[in-house]
Amino acid sequence: MNPAQPAILRSYAPAVIVQQHEVVLRTKQLVKRFGSITAVDGLDVEVGRGEVVGLLGPNGAGKSTTIGMVLGLITPTAGTAEVLGRDIRVRREDALAGVGAMLEVTSFYPYLSGRDNLAAVALLRGAGALARVDPLLARLGLAQRGESKFRTYSLGMRQRLGIASTLLADPALVILDEPANGLDPAGQREIRELIRELAGENRGVLLASHLLHEVEQVCDRVLVIKKGKLIASGTIAEVTRGGGNYFEIVVDDRPRAAEILRGLGITEIRETPTGLDVVADPKRGAEINRALASAALYASAIVPRASSLEDVFMELTEPEASTAPPPS
Amino acid sequence: MPLLMLLIIVLAAVGIYLLIYLSVQAQLQAVRTGAIPSPPGGEQAMSQTLRELRPDRVQGFGVQIVSGLGSLMLIVFAASHIGTEFGWGTFRTLLAHGAGRGAFLGAKVLSLALYAAVFVFLGVVAAMLGSYIVTAISGEAASGPDVGAIADAGRRLYYTLLPYMALATLIAVWSRSAGAGIAAGLVLYFTEGLVAQLLVSFNRDYANIVNYGLSRNAGALIRGAAGTTTIQDPSAVGLPDQGQAALILGAYTVVFLALAYWRLRSRDVTVGG
Repeated sequence: MNPAQPAILRSYAPAVIVQQHEVVLRTKQLVKRFGSITAVDGLDVEVGRGEVVGLLGPNGAGKSTTIGMVLGLITPTAGTAEVLGRDIRVRREDALAGVGAMLEVTSFYPYLSGRDNLAAVALLRGAGALARVDPLLARLGLAQRGESKFRTYSLGMRQRLGIASTLLADPALVILDEPANGLDPAGQREIRELIRELAGENRGVLLASHLLHEVEQVCDRVLVIKKGKLIASGTIAEVTRGGGNYFEIVVDDRPRAAEILRGLGITEIRETPTGLDVVADPKRGAEINRALASAALYASAIVPRASSLEDVFMELTEPEASTAPPPS
Repeated sequence: MPLLMLLIIVLAAVGIYLLIYLSVQAQLQAVRTGAIPSPPGGEQAMSQTLRELRPDRVQGFGVQIVSGLGSLMLIVFAASHIGTEFGWGTFRTLLAHGAGRGAFLGAKVLSLALYAAVFVFLGVVAAMLGSYIVTAISGEAASGPDVGAIADAGRRLYYTLLPYMALATLIAVWSRSAGAGIAAGLVLYFTEGLVAQLLVSFNRDYANIVNYGLSRNAGALIRGAAGTTTIQDPSAVGLPDQGQAALILGAYTVVFLALAYWRLRSRDVTVGG
């Protein structure tokens, strides 16, 4: 742990990943600099077969750059990326033979039909891929529009075609960058189900998404990055601290209240506009109330809360200036 | 676009034959009836131009028409063929699905080369068609085309188009844009040709310098085909010999493609292309 890091962040320090599955993607100390800008800074990522790993971060955090490096589209400044045990810089084409990837912007030939676009990609994927074109169109709900030109597709249909293209290779690793962009709620649900099916077929899935509820529902683990650095990782329960129990305390004298709570051994305290958010066992509500009252600090409210992934994401990725200073 | 360009070269080749025939014929009639004064040697020059339109002269006049139009159109096509892959984002999609960068460029260059072969073939056939049409209109007896000479001229023409396509490919890869590739390719094409012509017209010794460019070597190779032209052309003074021309054009093609490959290979492919 980094002692200089605010307490609220230290609690989310990257966890050691327990090796449970055959690893299909592993990056080690991956770095990418564009001139003076460091887009990705020493990133370690692992995805195993049969698990869905969410890659979270605000805009510009380095998610797409990371995916670009994993796919060999972007050359890392330092570090390595291994896909299916093969170094992407040395054996890129071998490595990608077992990978299906959908990038953030889905791009196909506008003058070809959806079916022909998939067939064109299938030609790159070798024997068997052509036979998957029609079943995949059906699986993604595009069978009726397979003969329509790609340029006539809606955003949602383009996303579906992009997802279909990832499965042409019968991949061991599927990389999806914002797959639910442009989909209606029913479509989003279908994609969530599809992602879980992919994991059930013993494929590893790396999912970059802004839709945190989507990530929360489908991912086994999440990686949160900010400014190119991994700032948290683990299962959803780990990252949200087992359901994310905390108290929202409405109180006027926040510095003094925080000092009293630290006296109770509570270390994770964050100032809010109305008071404090305090990570503590839900059973300690009465104790907290008593301690504050005995110091003549009368809280207007002490409300037990459970943090969602969205709460944690916002805490982790919001500007550091808004977090409470660490105890002196 | 590819089919449209083939249609254009066919129509243009036939159309130019008709246009030249009709305008020269009209001038000739006007001179002969005294409607306009004839410059010294003017009638003879016009008659010679009409002779160049005959089928037995296609290897000269017809091939030069296809050369002039073909260089421009294939620069446009090559830049578009490569640049749109960046504009549409399909280059990124193909790479993400395992295509190699070298294989991508190789496939693109090969398809360009095949397209150019079809383009030249149809262009030359259209020129032959145009020559037959104007001969039929004139009512003169037409001697048959020299197929061997036309094939030789067509082969030379094809070879001279390769460096221009390679140049357009390089610019499109570098700029990741069809528009930039077309614009820069055409500007370089016109500028280099114009500068070479001007320098040689100022001083013939400059031919030693400009003979290392594209336009003079392409001109030398096309004019080197058997019996290509009988028309005097002052810009043809001091053209390089054909061996040098073939070597230099080949070297340009290889260097342009090697640079395109190097740039493509070393380039990061981000969301913007």
